[in-house]
Order: sequence, then C-alpha cells, then structure tokens
Amino acid sequence: MVMAVTKVLFNMRLKTMMVLAAVAGSIIALRLIDIQILRHNAYLQMAERNRTQILYQTAPRGRVFTADGVAVASNAPAFSLYYLGGSTDTEYLKRLSHDFAPHLHVSEDALQAKLQAGASSGKAVLLAENLSTKSTVALQELQYYYPGIYLIEETKRNYPYGIFASHLLGYLGSLDEKQWRKRDSKLGYRLSSKIGKNGIEKKFEQELKGKDGGVYLEVDYRGRVKSIIEDKKWAAGSDVYLTLDFAVQQAAEEGLKNSLTGRGAAVALDPRTGAVLALASAPAYDPNIFVPYSDEEYDPESKKINEYNLALQGIYPPASTFKVITAAAAVESEQIDLKRKINCTGKYNAGSRIFKCWGTHGPVDFWEGMAHSCDVYFYSVAAQLGAAAIERVQRMFMFGRPTGIDFPGEKAGNLYGPTRRARNKTYWFIGDTLNLSIGQGELLVTPIKLAQFAAALASRGNLYRPYYVEKIVSNQTGKTEQVGKTEILQHADLKPETYDVLFQALKYTVDNGTARRAKIKGVDVYGKTGTAQNPHGPDHGWFMAFAGYPGEKPAIAVAVFVEYGESGSAAAGPIAHDMLKAYFDNPAHHQPQKTQEEYNELLEETYGR
Amino acid sequence: MGDRKLFGGGRSRLDYILLGAMVALVLLGALCIMSAVNSISWANPVVRTHCIALPVGAFAFFIGWSFNYQIYDEQWKALYMFILLLLVGVLLFGSYQRGSRSWFVLPFFSMQPSEICRVCTILVAAAFLDRRGRRIREVTSVFWLCLLLLPIFGLIMMQPDFSSVVVTLPALLVLLYCTGVNVFYLGLIALFAGVAGFFTISWTYIYLHPDTLSYPLVQVFHGLSHNGWYIAGFATAVIVLGYVAWWLFRQFRIYLPSAYFVLATLMVLAGLFGGIFVEHQMKPHQRKRVEAFLAPRSDPQGAGYNILQAQIAMGAGGIMGKGLFSGTQSRLGFVPERHTDFILAVVGEELGLWGTLCVLGLYFLILWRIIGVAYASGDRYGYLVCAGIFGMFFTYMLINYGMLIGIVPVAGIPLPFISYGGSNLVASLWALGVVQSVYARRLRA
Repeated sequence: MVMAVTKVLFNMRLKTMMVLAAVAGSIIALRLIDIQILRHNAYLQMAERNRTQILYQTAPRGRVFTADGVAVASNAPAFSLYYLGGSTDTEYLKRLSHDFAPHLHVSEDALQAKLQAGASSGKAVLLAENLSTKSTVALQELQYYYPGIYLIEETKRNYPYGIFASHLLGYLGSLDEKQWRKRDSKLGYRLSSKIGKNGIEKKFEQELKGKDGGVYLEVDYRGRVKSIIEDKKWAAGSDVYLTLDFAVQQAAEEGLKNSLTGRGAAVALDPRTGAVLALASAPAYDPNIFVPYSDEEYDPESKKINEYNLALQGIYPPASTFKVITAAAAVESEQIDLKRKINCTGKYNAGSRIFKCWGTHGPVDFWEGMAHSCDVYFYSVAAQLGAAAIERVQRMFMFGRPTGIDFPGEKAGNLYGPTRRARNKTYWFIGDTLNLSIGQGELLVTPIKLAQFAAALASRGNLYRPYYVEKIVSNQTGKTEQVGKTEILQHADLKPETYDVLFQALKYTVDNGTARRAKIKGVDVYGKTGTAQNPHGPDHGWFMAFAGYPGEKPAIAVAVFVEYGESGSAAAGPIAHDMLKAYFDNPAHHQPQKTQEEYNELLEETYGR
Repeated sequence: MGDRKLFGGGRSRLDYILLGAMVALVLLGALCIMSAVNSISWANPVVRTHCIALPVGAFAFFIGWSFNYQIYDEQWKALYMFILLLLVGVLLFGSYQRGSRSWFVLPFFSMQPSEICRVCTILVAAAFLDRRGRRIREVTSVFWLCLLLLPIFGLIMMQPDFSSVVVTLPALLVLLYCTGVNVFYLGLIALFAGVAGFFTISWTYIYLHPDTLSYPLVQVFHGLSHNGWYIAGFATAVIVLGYVAWWLFRQFRIYLPSAYFVLATLMVLAGLFGGIFVEHQMKPHQRKRVEAFLAPRSDPQGAGYNILQAQIAMGAGGIMGKGLFSGTQSRLGFVPERHTDFILAVVGEELGLWGTLCVLGLYFLILWRIIGVAYASGDRYGYLVCAGIFGMFFTYMLINYGMLIGIVPVAGIPLPFISYGGSNLVASLWALGVVQSVYARRLRA
C-alpha cells in the first residue's frame, strides 16, 4: 500500500488528467459536429467534384427569331470524340488511329501517341471536339468497330443568314479571365464555354445560355475512369424574339451592300410603337467565323471584323432632311406666307457672304421649295424667322440627344442653335442661321436619330424609345416574358395644322420632287432626301421617309444613310424604296396592327397625367 | 485506493468494461481496414497481415494480463537493455524504408521495434520512479529520468522515427505529473517546448512566405534565427526581464524560490537555442508539413492535400455516413494513408458522425477505465504504469483526432486498435494486457 500522504496527491492528479481528457474529448466532438453536420453539404460537394469527371455536352443556345418567325441565330450539331480507356493494346490503338486520323485532320502518329498516353493512364482522352456532321457520318459508323470510342453530340452556335443583323446580334467568344472570375462553374460556365461578346448575344447571355449536359464518369484520385455514373441531357436556353422584320432588314442590308461605297446604315421603325423593324450597318460581318468547326479551314484574318455600328455611332450633318424642321418652324410660327414665291437664282446674298443653292430653281413656293429642296427658299425663310424658332423645334424633336435605344455605344449627335452657342459663350452670326436652316454646320445626327425623327413626324409628334426585343420564350417552361414595350420619351407639340402641311409637303416631295424614287403604288409615301456636304471627300447621302396605306396611320418610318454616296436621292433613295416595298409586299402588313382606340389610350396614358 | 465499489469492487480478475471497449474498437477497426483496402482477398498483404496480427495481438494481451506486472519492476534493468538492443539492432539490421531505418524484415513478416519500445520505455520509467522511493517527487528524479531515457530517444532519433518521440514524450510527461512532481518543473519543460515550438513554427512560416520580411519587426524576428548580435540582445533582454520579475515579486512580498526565476529564464533561452537548432536542421519536406498545418488550403495539391482530402471525406460522411464499403473519397484513393494514419477519415465517411463519436467514446471509455485501474492498483508501481499507459493512449487519441480536425500538424501517427499496423496493434493490446494485470492483482499486492 502507498503512503497516505501521496495517496491524496495521486488521486487528485488522476482526477485532473481525467478532466483534461474530458475537455479534450469535448473539443474534438464539437469540431467533429462542425465538420460532419454544419459543413456537411460543402464537403459533400467537394467529394462529388473529386470523384466525377464530366464529358460536357454544350447545350443549344436559345434561338433568335425575327418578328415574322425566321430563326436568324440557331444551332448546328457539333461532335466531340472521346476515348475512354479500355484497351491498351498497341496493335489495337494503331489500327484505331489509322482509321480515325484522316477524319480528325491529325497525323496518325500524333493520334496514336495521344491514345497511348491516355490509355496507359486510364484517363478519358478528348480526341477532337467541334466536329462537323461532314466527318461524323464516317465516325459514327467507325465507333461501333472500336469499343472505348465515344462520339458525343453537342451543339454550336450557327447564324443561318450570315451577316444578317450582325451588329445587333453580336457574336460569341471565349471567356476572358475577368469573365471567368465572375461566371465560374456555379453558373454553368467552363473554360471552354463560349460567351456572348456583343449585341443580343451579350445582353441576353443569361437567358440564351442553356444548361450543359454531359456524361458523368467516376474517376479515382489519378483521374482513371472507373465507371459511367449517368448521362445527363442538356436543357436548351430561352428563345429571343426580335421586332425586326426579316424582309425589311434584308432589303436594307442588300441595298447598303450594293450601294456606291458599301458603307452606310439604314434604320426602320414602327411609328405606332417605336419597334425597330430594321437596323442595318455596313460593312457588316459574319458572326459564324467565331464559332468554327475544328475540321474546317478558317482564315484567321477574317476574325478582324468591323464592329463599328454606323447606325448608332456614326454622326453626320443631316443636311436637307433637316429642312423639315425649318419648315415646321416656319409653318408653326404662322409668320410665313407659304404661298409666296421666292425666286431662286442659285445664290443668296447674306450681306458680306454669298450662300449658294445646289441648283437654280426659279420662283418656288413652300411646297416646291420642299420638293426640290431649294436652299435659297429656306435661307430666306430662316432669315425672316430667326434661328431661335428653328432651335425650339429641334429641341421638341430631341435633337442632340440619344434616341435611348437599349444598346451600348449610341452617340448623341449635336444640337445647333443660338441658345446653345450662348451657353458656349461664343457669338451667333446670320451665316449660322442660314447654315442651320439647311442642316449643315455643327449639326450632327446618327441614322437612328433621323429614323426616330421620321417616326415622330409619322406619329404626329411621338418620340419613341426604339426597342428591338419583343419577348423571351423559355424552352423549358414555355413561359413568355414580354420585354419590348412602347415608351414615349417626349411629344413634339406642334399644331395639328402644322403636321398636315408637313405631310402634304413631304408627300409632294415623293410624288413630284427629289424623293421620287421612294414612290410605291397603292401606298402613301412621305419622304425627304439629303446630301451632306463633306469637305473631306464625296458628299454623304441621306433619305428619310415614312409610309402607310391611304386613310391609315403611317406604319413604317425609315432613315437611310450612305457614306460618300454623293447624292441622297440616287444613293439612299432606292434603298429606302426597297425597304418600304419589302414591308408593304408582306400581306401580314395589310391590316393595321393597333386599332385607333388602343392608340388613343396609349396617348392618354402618356399625357393624361 | 479510491472508491472500491466503483473501481475494482468484488474480486473479478478482469475489467470487463475495458475489455469490451477494446474488443469493440478492434472489431470496428478490422471492418474499416477491410473497407479501406479495395480488394478483400488473401492475396492482399494488408488483409493477410491484419489477420495474422489479430491472433498475435490477442496472445500479447493474454501474456500482458497473465504475467505479474511487478516482474517489469524487478527486471527493469533487463528491460532497459532489451530496449537498447532492439533499437541498436534495428539500426544495424533494419531495412531502409521511406527515409527511415525502423523495420525488421523477417521471412514471414516485418515488425517495427519502436512500437514495443514505446510501451517498454513507460514500464522502465515507471520502475525507475518507483525506485526513487521517498525522493520520487523531487526535481532530481526528473533530471535522472531524463538522463536515463536519453540513449533511447537518441537511438530513435537516429532511425529517425519522429512519431515515436511525439507519442512517448507526452506520455512521460503525464507519468511525471502523476508521480506528483512539482508542477512548476513540468511547466518548465512545457515552457521550453513552447518557446522552441513557437520560434520554429514562426520561422518556418517566414521561410515559406518571404514577402512578410518587408515588415521591419518581422525582419528583426527572423534575424534571431541566425544573427549573433540579435541573439545576444534577446538573451540579455530575457535575463534582465527575469531579474526584474524576481525583484518585483520581492517588492510585493511574494516569496517564491529564487531558483524558479533562474530556471524559467534558462528555459526560455534553451527554448530559443532549441528552436535555432531545429530551424537549421529542418528539411524542406518537414517545412512543408508545418506549412500544411498552418494553412491546409493554401496549396490543395501539395502538403495540405492530405489533410484537406481527409476532412472532405469526414464532412461528406455527414451524420449517418455513406455506409461501409461505399465511401468515394477513400475507395477512389483521394484520402492518403487511408488504412493507417487517416483511418478516422474512412470511419467518418462511411459511418458518419456516429462512427467518429463512437470511436471517440470507446477511447474515452478505455482512458476512464485505465484511470480506474490506477485508482484501484495495489502498489505504486501499478499506479505509475497505468498513468504512463494512460498518457500514451491519450496522446494517440489527441494527435490522431487533432490532426484530422486540423488542430495538430500531420505527424503520421496511427490510431491504435483502429489503424492497420501489426506491430502497433500487438504493442497496444499488450499494454492493455498489462493494465488488466494491474487490475487482476490489485488485492494481492
């Protein structure tokens, strides 16, 4: 027996040790609960990611349709070829690479080396991806003779009409590092994923992108394939419906392509809603070059595309199309006797300077002045009227401000007038007034701005925010999300009589004047040409028009711009004509889309309060 | 000693709770090992070895139980010589595996003598302390014990078998504590280990993150590892501080033995020099281990990979686990050393929280019973033996669980009874046999 003194001490120390063990055990237990209950889900995910390797199948992106139902961005089949281990027999792999190499555009030796390395490590080997149907017909047959070969169907973006609305549609590209950080695998992106880089593809990336499917393989810590867990089907992305009219857009693109310089822009709007019917910019590009098949040859040079969207970003003086503003100011003021003739001798004397007209028109009244775009007539009207009145009408139609279309990069253009000058603390001269009256000088507009102006005239004053996406339809749930809506930014509050006179004059211009080329049988067309003087080279051609069936509200408004086109009526006129014709040739457009009542309601909604 | 009713009431010669917990752990361990290896067949060396180790272990338990433990007390010198012989032998004839010479390879099986030596060292230390008689609690006992065990640790370090030292040292510390040595002296040892460990870990961190050197304070701190002037300055500061502390205590009329201050100062300095020594001896892969402990996620493919994968396995198991033979982390090889050091990860993944808590509970039961036997022991030697063996299992449990939950660096230490490893299993069963022997002879001694 131990001594009594030490007995007490021993017992105490044993107790201390036991307490220590209990404390340690409790800490361990708490941490176990933390790991195994609280962090269970996170760790389970990590474990799943560890053991699965996925051979992805890129899901089809949502399609993009025009308003009349033409798929302008769609998908094409593309195939990936995998070898999932299996035999490591050299003879077998040699035979395999001999048969497959020609279809994959690689050398036999390279393929065999790749197979050999993959087979010995037991990993899944990606032999080729993004193959076109051309080579896969043969491969599909071959795969039955070679166990271990898997041909996986994927999809790839395809634009069936090539350059069609390419500036609007945008294009796809690989994820860069910044995008990769933002959109990791949680959102379904992989490093090899393609992402919208511009236009609709970028703006609706989230909606268009589907959920990739894939073959899920179980792998061990060295990546060796153990078994196939499941074959998960993809889910296609949502479809986007545009407001574009296929025929009108195509007419615009064709016209621009065949124009004098092949450079320009054409915009068509629905003056009842603000919907964009056509938005073309030339030169355009074919977005298909960014999503090539691996077994097709592509010129890398072709990837240097012209992304410049002239319709939204090109700013030019509106030239004679602006005379409509001057005319509106003149009519609205009631100071001008429209019937009084002014004699055009080809020159206008403004005191110290002589201003020239583009022709010699003789005595012209208001209607003839518009029809023949006589500069002298407008000089004298402007001189009588003063520049402030013209600037006021400009502001009514929101010149110098962007149209507000939901598309990045739109330029605002430039408003020109005495108050603007005063703000800049410089002086306004009579020469400025004369320049302003015929749309020259510091005045700058974009083609879409002019189209908005044409639509505003056509709707008697409604400045719409142009929109180009109508709705998004999910391919999974079938649910439709209405995106596009009519929004009136401002109402140009001219007297109804003013609009009547302007309509008359513009129709007269098409029937008897410079805008004759836009004439269409059975349709009331209103138009105005413009030729912008260009000190650096040939003049630019403008054409602005709107049209509708007799007795109905105008249904389409267009603006066409041809850079260095030399003349508005010869270069831009025919394009506008083709666009209008394409629109009215469509039997669907014989009926008005909105009833008068609906239209009134809309007006009331906007101005009632 | 203690409450007879609870600890060793009746005349039973076997502590059934201890036996039951042990058997349960061994069976659970066998199941998990079978699950951790992918193919269960006689051709698999792991299965074969474990099947042989089980009966051998049972025999060792029986030997430990049936022999009177007092024999080790009487024959402690022979036991001491036996340890030295084994360790010298393994250095001379052992086979060189994975960077250390710690295995005897015999025709039919291999054995790791340091496993047996661990238990023997505790028996020898207990015998030595018992023989100090009345002076058992004096600091000189600590000193002589250190001197006695120095050759053993020296030989182990020559293999080198780092994990053996890591387990045996705390066990001896527990033993010394239970002999009743002044806590202050044990505190000194802890102070030394703490200071040395602090310096080593900090320097290693700086070594692995050179960018921290841009801070002037870090630079000065890092200079302590090699710059003579800094070291001299630090040493002077420590000595002055020690003196100031002694003087302050005097002023406030708190009278502590002056030796305390001298020893504490010396220990801090010794810790610094120990740290410097380790710092200069450390190899890159050992630095990586410390790194993996400090931040296991910083390099998921490197050293931190093991511990991270083990934690993923445990976390993925959840409460109920994925079921035996169906853990993906272990069966697909993501958990390294899954049948030895990281067997708990397999338990966690396949049996869930219930499994890990069950093992923890059984361990706690064993620890509790060993304490109980120590209470009940008939003589001081039995008490000391139990205390030492308690310390050993406690350390095993703490390090193995601690490693998995990330509070202890990865040390490569198995979990007795659960992990695969014949020598360890046999030694551990023998150790519990000795505890049972103390229990069986509590009334006779």
